[in-house]
Amino acid sequence: MKNRQPLFHVVKRENASLGRQAAAYFAAVVLALAVGAVLLAVQGVEPLTFYRQMFTMGIPGSRYPWRAVENFIRLFVPLLIVSLALALAFKMRFWNIGGEGQFIMGAFWAAVAGMQLGESLPKPLMLLVMALCGALGGGLYGVFVAALKVKWGTNETLLTLMLNYIALYFLQFFAETKGEWNFFLDPESARPRFARFPDSAQMMTIPIGPFNLNLSLVVALVLCILIFIYLSYTKRGYEIAVVGDSPNTARYAGMRVGRIVIRTIFLSAALIGMAGAFHVSSAGVMSASPTNDVGWTGIVVAWLAKLNTAGIVVASLLITVLQYGCQTASTTYPAIDSNFASLLQGVILFIVLAADFFTRFRLAVRTGKEGTK
Amino acid sequence: MKKILALALAAAMSLSLAACGSGDKSNGKDSSASNPGSASNPGSSVSTPEDNKPSLKVGAIYINSQNDTSGYTFQHHNGITTAMKALGMDPAELIIVDGVPDGDDTAVATAIDTVVNQGADIVFGISFGYLNAMEQKAADYPDVIFSHGTGYKSNDTNFNNYFGRIYQARYLAGIAAGMKTLELENNNIGYVAAYNLDYAETCSGINAFALGAQSVNPDAVVHVNVINAWGDETLERQAAQALIDTYGCCVISQHCDSAQPQLVAQENGVFGCGYNSDMTEQAPNGHLTAAVWHWNVYYQTALEAAIACNGDATKFVENMNGPAYYAGLKENFVDVSPLSSNCAPNTQAVIDAVRELIVSGEWDVFSGVKLSYNISEDGKVEIVRTDADLVDNQGNVIVAAGGPSVEDSVITGGMDYNVAGVEEG
Repeated sequence: MKNRQPLFHVVKRENASLGRQAAAYFAAVVLALAVGAVLLAVQGVEPLTFYRQMFTMGIPGSRYPWRAVENFIRLFVPLLIVSLALALAFKMRFWNIGGEGQFIMGAFWAAVAGMQLGESLPKPLMLLVMALCGALGGGLYGVFVAALKVKWGTNETLLTLMLNYIALYFLQFFAETKGEWNFFLDPESARPRFARFPDSAQMMTIPIGPFNLNLSLVVALVLCILIFIYLSYTKRGYEIAVVGDSPNTARYAGMRVGRIVIRTIFLSAALIGMAGAFHVSSAGVMSASPTNDVGWTGIVVAWLAKLNTAGIVVASLLITVLQYGCQTASTTYPAIDSNFASLLQGVILFIVLAADFFTRFRLAVRTGKEGTK
Repeated sequence: MKKILALALAAAMSLSLAACGSGDKSNGKDSSASNPGSASNPGSSVSTPEDNKPSLKVGAIYINSQNDTSGYTFQHHNGITTAMKALGMDPAELIIVDGVPDGDDTAVATAIDTVVNQGADIVFGISFGYLNAMEQKAADYPDVIFSHGTGYKSNDTNFNNYFGRIYQARYLAGIAAGMKTLELENNNIGYVAAYNLDYAETCSGINAFALGAQSVNPDAVVHVNVINAWGDETLERQAAQALIDTYGCCVISQHCDSAQPQLVAQENGVFGCGYNSDMTEQAPNGHLTAAVWHWNVYYQTALEAAIACNGDATKFVENMNGPAYYAGLKENFVDVSPLSSNCAPNTQAVIDAVRELIVSGEWDVFSGVKLSYNISEDGKVEIVRTDADLVDNQGNVIVAAGGPSVEDSVITGGMDYNVAGVEEG
């Protein structure tokens, strides 16, 4: 009895080739869609039609196809930037799960700038100021935790998590409290209601026919390239990887670990804050809960992509298609509500993550001989 | 396996063809889709008399799930689908984005774009927080009608708002409660409230209920217990129990989502007045009557007005006779649910008489005229109107004796007091 062994145990695979991983991911997506198809069929919905509408996001044949693309970009950009920024922190094994809070703080300070200076500055300058305020707001909110960790070794997971809620309720206080000091609100409204930003604080767009290309998409893609270069080809980027692998090695090599942590977390949180600034500026108005959960979804994206920059672009694109496409496809089915759409997304993510696990590990089944003695 | 796949594919194609067919009806052949004007032209389809079904496409933005079986979203979804059926429209064609959070403007704007993109000619938004996005999108899409529940923004073409005089139904429910307090010889009434003075919606409901109870029993006191949430079953339960334990309340009224306060009343052998839906089913031995909404009344009116626009969305507000729909007992938009057998004798007669008075438009709840009743032996009710100050519970006179009803804007937005006889704590 003492020698009883588990039925199987987990063994690490030594060399999972890139091709094998890609095949596993692809198989996982197909499997996930198949499971989803069964769930859809049970609800009486034709799965292929649903998937067609989901992956095309209802764009073909719609009234204003360009609006759908614009909305897609509006959801995609914050997720992309936040995932990139979180990957920076995760690479250093700093568990920043405070994306939500840093995003809100970025949005908040960008809105302060937008509401207070909006009339006085020309648009490009105003947007730059908002982006900087957002970056500073988010960055300081994040670096606070990094400083505590460096100084006293506090747990960054707990602190960033708790700061999310502080930021959320901080913003809600401004959303719900009427007063002459509260410049966020529309003074003419009897009940608290956010006023729209002045014109110059609204995100710039590049008109292409009826379609307006959101400038923040361009900025986000440039950021991707810059971060890729930063991580792969600069000394500072290399330092992040070393600190992530082993802080002691880094110290032995003469790196100032504390300074690297603070610098990197500031960069990570500042990018998230900037994403918040872009987001509210694209919306043109502040919201009481503006994040669309990017602080959480970004974590999933970063890990799905294994913190790889190109992977993050692909993963955040796919997740946005999943989210936005599900919403569009479900509009015409009485049986499919938003809960089912979330369920479907969850199933797909879960199976893809499981596939990721099985590309790195395998289950060794007990042969039976050693167990029976 | 191949056969099944082929079958599935065939089914998918035929379905998608069908979907395209119906979708393209309003889009016409505008494959370029670059001309927004061509998008919504139900007028052209209305004029083809092949069937009597209105070709209007209806869209809705919900805060909770369209599959809910009770609560706020359910009430509205039920109202819209009932109205659609009454007009010969197929509720399955309702275009819905649900689970849209109230505090995220981008999410609301995206949901509206989605519904419009799917072809909706009229979009209903049911939650107050959709305000900013509805206003913005009404300007973006002048060819689509926007209708916002519980809001106060509008324009004079394609964007209105709607709400109802639920306070009138509360007054009637208050009468039922007051009659019960006389029967039980106990003046304490409890009221489980989501909020009190924070929202005109909640405190006007409390005030109207109290005035209704006092019209029967001038000594009745309404004890308010605030839970600071629109719906929380545990808090609703606890609040109701506390009212019974602390003040010995014999009737429990409520402004919150679930039937828990009514269940607690029944468990304690006392009585209650529900809200939103007839809760007699949940608490058959405790429930008296509930103040209820008939949302379908509004939705049918709005859809008829939208159909009458004949494709010109800018006529909608004109067809609705103004940018703010605010109907009450007269239009049957609000009412009390059928009285249960728990009600005191003659309750029905008094309520009927007062309903008739309110419907006639001669009198309204928040005015300088108080009602009382003479009930004869054979159950005939005579309403006695007496001029009296409407006083808040701090002693301030709101309306002087004999004065007219307060403005509608006070009831919907400005009210921030409780009338005499209401005690919070």
